[in-house]
Amino acid sequence: MHAFSRRSLLKTGAAFAATFAAPALVRAAPKEIVIGGPAGAAKYFNADLFPVLEKKLDCKVLYEGTNSLTNLQKMQADKASPKISVVIMDDPVMLPAAAEGLITKMSSSAIPNLGKLVDGAVHQDGLWANYQKPWAGIAYSTKRMKTPPASWADLWDTKYESKIIVPSLSNTEGFWALLAAAHLETGKPYKEAQYEIDVAFKKVKSLKANLLNVYTNAPQAINLLEQGEAWMIGGQFSAYTLIRKADGSPVDLAIPADGGFAMPSGIAKVAGGPAGDLADAVIEFFLSPEAQTILAEKAFVAPTNQATPRPAGFPDPAALFAPDWAFVAKNRAGWVDRWSKEMT
Amino acid sequence: MTDAALPAPVTGPARDRERIAAFGFIAPSVLIVALVFVLPLALLLGVSVLDARGDITSAHYTRLLGTPYYLGVIWNSLRLGLLTTLIAFLVSYPAAFALARARGALRSILLATLFLPLAASVIVKAFAWTILLRSDGLINTVLITIGIIEDPIRMIFTQTALITGAVNIFLPFMVLPIYAVVAQLDGRYAEAAATLGASPVVVFFRVILPLTLPGIIAGVALVFSLSVSAYVVPTLLIGEKYPTLATTIAKAYLLAREPGFGAAAGVVLLAIAVIVVALSARLSREPT
Repeated sequence: MHAFSRRSLLKTGAAFAATFAAPALVRAAPKEIVIGGPAGAAKYFNADLFPVLEKKLDCKVLYEGTNSLTNLQKMQADKASPKISVVIMDDPVMLPAAAEGLITKMSSSAIPNLGKLVDGAVHQDGLWANYQKPWAGIAYSTKRMKTPPASWADLWDTKYESKIIVPSLSNTEGFWALLAAAHLETGKPYKEAQYEIDVAFKKVKSLKANLLNVYTNAPQAINLLEQGEAWMIGGQFSAYTLIRKADGSPVDLAIPADGGFAMPSGIAKVAGGPAGDLADAVIEFFLSPEAQTILAEKAFVAPTNQATPRPAGFPDPAALFAPDWAFVAKNRAGWVDRWSKEMT
Repeated sequence: MTDAALPAPVTGPARDRERIAAFGFIAPSVLIVALVFVLPLALLLGVSVLDARGDITSAHYTRLLGTPYYLGVIWNSLRLGLLTTLIAFLVSYPAAFALARARGALRSILLATLFLPLAASVIVKAFAWTILLRSDGLINTVLITIGIIEDPIRMIFTQTALITGAVNIFLPFMVLPIYAVVAQLDGRYAEAAATLGASPVVVFFRVILPLTLPGIIAGVALVFSLSVSAYVVPTLLIGEKYPTLATTIAKAYLLAREPGFGAAAGVVLLAIAVIVVALSARLSREPT
């Protein structure tokens, strides 16, 4: 039998008082949901987007920020009992996730915003949807270059010896340099040039003398651009560069006359993932004008919901080229290997 | 009476009991070693000979040891290890003597300068080098200010930057073992040799160097194994221009999703490190 001590009596009293005075404190803990997505987005997701989402849906977001391929591996490993409920990945990585049955079809009854997106934003009958469209061009140092680069051919100009950085083909943004090379070497528009990979590699190899570095780590490359050590990064996203510009760094993003690229980011519901209803609500939020306005302002990505106003200065998504990602996904492993061998 | 003082030889069941007791004492250590070292190594070896479907294959080793590109990668790792070790030795050897000869406050200061960098992470030190080596970094600024050069030299992302950074980062692991031996060196050996007519050069090569060999061997084994398998240093100081076994393993696991190939590269890297450590252990056992 318990003897009542003064301390235990005080504790019980305090618990009772809390229950009646502040019911919110003793209510069930908010639901948790695990979202997997890019590490680069963690900053603006955590600071600007998730607080709004958590308040709106009364839940707690656990964000696993890494690169898309790593999230794909996690989903493959946890296929029997998934831990991630919602996954945010680039379109080229969504393709294998869809093919392996790791993501499940979203219904427009549970996610009404699916029907309000721009054409081409919903893929494979609702397996994933593009919640944003960053664009890509040439990032450049405004400290070193008084005029923005006018063409992708500028990267090859001999006056920029050891001043250019390109992303490795292991990174999604690494494909832009290869695509621009194919276009420059063949003289064909991107739509046709994208399949001329041998020619593209030949042209990219001739860029070596101008390369300061080939990066897999985007923050390090941006850092070198900010310091003026690198003059241009050939193939860089608006979400990476313009955030730094907004913070006051001497960098900017140019869309060359021969064209910039669209890089839609997808959001999908993990097959058999926990908290299914909450996952639908999270995706609905990401596709809403409310969330997309925050992302457009904070991350400089073009919205995909037609009801979201496109901020001034954003390029027309129709003018940006979106490659054949199915072709890229099919051949990428071989290209990465070839890139490693020919670019070192 | 003298017989009674000697311990009786242990025979029969008593000897068996002793053996069982001895096994009982070492069993926990054997278990830990098996779990922490043997099991992961067995898994690594196992994965390195499996293909994507789980069948046994030698394809990963054939690709690694039969492709000029990957032989170049292995050579890059060895070159990084050898150059770093050589330069670190040339810098450390006199430094260890200076440290051993120093007295009082100077010795404390020298020891502190050696130990304090060990408290900073490799990433921080590698980043610090990228700042120092920049076009408008400290080194270029000083060289321009004193009039040695007119335009900044490009040092960042070069092999010079890589080796300089690696030597700086791994230097304490060479100085400390040599210092430990030099500090205990009996100065009378050198004096005796000199008294017997040996020139300073002969004294150094016939007396001092052999006596300090155990420290040198330990330092070489440490610095070589650290630098041959370094990942952060080449990644930050030279990037993809200088692929090594460590960066190839990371790429195989993290980007290319080829665990079999990554494991095979890991086995080759491990074999290189084990050979060097085994050789140095053998050398340090031989009478000098």
